[in-house]
Amino acid sequence: MVNYKVKFWDMILPRVQKPTRYLGNEVNAVVKEHSRCSVKVALAFPDLYEVGMSHLGLKILYSLINNHEQWVAERVFMPDTDLEAILRNEAFPLCSLETVTPLADFDLLGFTLQYELSYATILQMLRLGGISLLALSRGEQEPLVVGGGPGAFNPEPLADFFDFFILGDAEEALPQVLLFLEQNRQLSRAEKLFSLSRITGVYVPSLYIPEFDQHGCFLGTSPLHANLPKQVQRAVVVDLNAAVYPVKFVVPYGGIVHDRLVLELFRGCTRGCRFCQAGIIYRPLRERTPAKLKELARELVRTSGYDELALSSLSSGDYSAIGQLVTELGMELAQEGVALSLPSLRLDSFSSQLAEQVKQVRKSGLTFAPEAGTQRLRDVINKNISEADLISAVTEAFAAGWTGIKLYFMIGLPTETDDDLAGIAALVRKVMSAYKQAGCRGKPRVTVSVSVFVPKAHTPFQWAGLIPRDEILRRQNILRQSLRITGALFKWHGVEPSLLEAALARGGRELSAVISRAAELGCKLDGWDEHFSFENWQQAFRDNGLELAELAARQYSLDDPLPWDHLDSGVTKAFLKKEYGLALAGKVSQDCRENCLGCGMSLLLEGKDGKGACHDARLD
Amino acid sequence: MRVWIKFAKESPMRFLSHLDLLRVWQRAIRRAALPVAYSAGFNPHPKISFASALAVGVTSDGEYLDIQFAKRLDGAAFERLAETLPQGLKLLDWRQIPEATPALMSLVCAAQWRLTLQAEESSHLQEAVQNLLAASSLPVEREGKKGIKTVDIRPLIYGLEVEEKEACLRMRLASGGEAVVRPGEVLKLLSLPAAEGRLHRTELYLASGGCFQEPMAVLLN
Repeated sequence: MVNYKVKFWDMILPRVQKPTRYLGNEVNAVVKEHSRCSVKVALAFPDLYEVGMSHLGLKILYSLINNHEQWVAERVFMPDTDLEAILRNEAFPLCSLETVTPLADFDLLGFTLQYELSYATILQMLRLGGISLLALSRGEQEPLVVGGGPGAFNPEPLADFFDFFILGDAEEALPQVLLFLEQNRQLSRAEKLFSLSRITGVYVPSLYIPEFDQHGCFLGTSPLHANLPKQVQRAVVVDLNAAVYPVKFVVPYGGIVHDRLVLELFRGCTRGCRFCQAGIIYRPLRERTPAKLKELARELVRTSGYDELALSSLSSGDYSAIGQLVTELGMELAQEGVALSLPSLRLDSFSSQLAEQVKQVRKSGLTFAPEAGTQRLRDVINKNISEADLISAVTEAFAAGWTGIKLYFMIGLPTETDDDLAGIAALVRKVMSAYKQAGCRGKPRVTVSVSVFVPKAHTPFQWAGLIPRDEILRRQNILRQSLRITGALFKWHGVEPSLLEAALARGGRELSAVISRAAELGCKLDGWDEHFSFENWQQAFRDNGLELAELAARQYSLDDPLPWDHLDSGVTKAFLKKEYGLALAGKVSQDCRENCLGCGMSLLLEGKDGKGACHDARLD
Repeated sequence: MRVWIKFAKESPMRFLSHLDLLRVWQRAIRRAALPVAYSAGFNPHPKISFASALAVGVTSDGEYLDIQFAKRLDGAAFERLAETLPQGLKLLDWRQIPEATPALMSLVCAAQWRLTLQAEESSHLQEAVQNLLAASSLPVEREGKKGIKTVDIRPLIYGLEVEEKEACLRMRLASGGEAVVRPGEVLKLLSLPAAEGRLHRTELYLASGGCFQEPMAVLLN
């Protein structure tokens, strides 16, 4: 047997730029003897170590699997270009970090699908690992390749490369998958996949086929067998307090993107922003108790040695006991020199009290997301935030000592007009004057970060298209002119990555060939400007008779079958349609903690704990 | 309580940069629940410093930390610290020192190095070493902020010998403040390739009573 580890450490690592990210022996990394394990899983994040190591989902699965004595999970990331070149030139396979085991030697290879721009990187990693790209041509000895995360809610563009996907909370579905694999090693791939498809949340794309009429029009995706469900249901963890939490963070040597502890307060969000995919696919709201969170926080600090802990959620200020938690936890951690940070706060939950509490522990940057410049457009997207909310929040922040804030907006939202763009500059001016009203002298630094709205599957805006390239440029230009305000710094996102993201986000299986071609042309790490090649991607689309820009701008009609209709997020299409209609009429919907809007989630949960309602637990 | 800690940086930790190494120690100290003292002021920082930076790729079993703790610690505390270090970092020894001792970094005056030789190198190296030691001056050029300047390193080479039996070259070179010789400079004069992977730092020395003293042994008051 080749000793991959000795060769990798002695012959390869000394030649790469940042060897510490490939060592795999960080504190809290788990190393197990493979011969004593019944199931071996490689957890792959299709981006560089620094990005992948910042991701909470990976840590959750790593703990979930390794907590089980006979299961082992090891990490693998996309190597940077220097190591990639060495691996290719010397035909050394891509290996896991912990034991330097080739990917092909694992039973299961899991990729997280966090963003569309990582899709070509997945293929590069498969190739470097010596694993057949097409699921159907994989041999019996090759690992099963599984995908999860938000991308699994429209995985059709990746359907050719994956044996199966897990929809929803892997904490719920993955142990069932591993248990099955452990007990059924003798089965063939096809038999395994067929059986796995019975687990809630597991979607086996080869068991579902897209159908077309004689003109080639897509009719929908149907199961191959009568005993398969028409729609694959999402897996849901009902009690987050009982779910595994990774209390032993692997501690990297070098700096990573989010180099700190992360504590997930709750999963889900009740706000109902119509552009937000996370707001749909993580329903319902499930909170951890303050007692549980404090216990986890102590453990995290003790085992890692980190000096910063971020309270993280889709909208942390919505946590029902946020004030109490920040005060109590903040005081306790401050004694140990650990700072608390709150990265995602909504404007309307930012009180002066919370400002004081956050400031006491660390004066980190503050970001607020009005998303749109006028009340009209904020109503369209159901971002229930008023101008008064924004002005009061920034005034509180300035009064509490912040001298700079960041504001986040989107352009290209459905129904947007030039008036809405003008509204952004007007809002920024008001934020500027709030500085004086808060009793501060001079000008604050206001960073105005503007991204392009990309419509996503399973949202009320899933039928809308991306606005055309020229239109994006025109709108960015308007902002560039109007945001020439002393103290304001305008930051915008590139047009081309947004076009690609949009084209991949709502496409079907026809895109598998495109992604495959793009990887052939060398596409990888597309989230990084220095690697992104729009030309190669355009060519990959053209080589398959498709036009990238057209697909990005594609609008579906409400009656069109959608490539992800056979995947059930728990929220019904009828609800999404209703919300889209309300959006176009400029009407808001309530926060669903105040009034159940009937999104369908309660139906999905019915029978699980017998309660039905999504958030009864928190309303008592 | 002020402490000097002696530690080894072995492969694979030789890949750690100076900054990474500091971060690794800070986190290990926190995991061991040892309270480091912080400097006063607007932006307090922990009172931890290294005796001497070590180039990436080089191993060592003569590295030192100078740490001010906020309270008295016993041996068990340092055992906890030793246990929580990542593979490749080893706590070798520690001693309490008087609070008023100058920073260890300012006291270091020399370093002992060992270069592992390949078979064909050691035979003709003996003569080159003798020639080097016989020279009255050894000017080397260094690039600094103010351009290139020439430094005579001969007086800063305190020892240089080939050990044929162990197939290694031992060097004792000045290492402190301005008076410093980089191992690479000597290797270049000996026409040996710069090779971090073969280089090892075995000890740091302080000057005390006219001779070289190891930090763990030197008398302090």
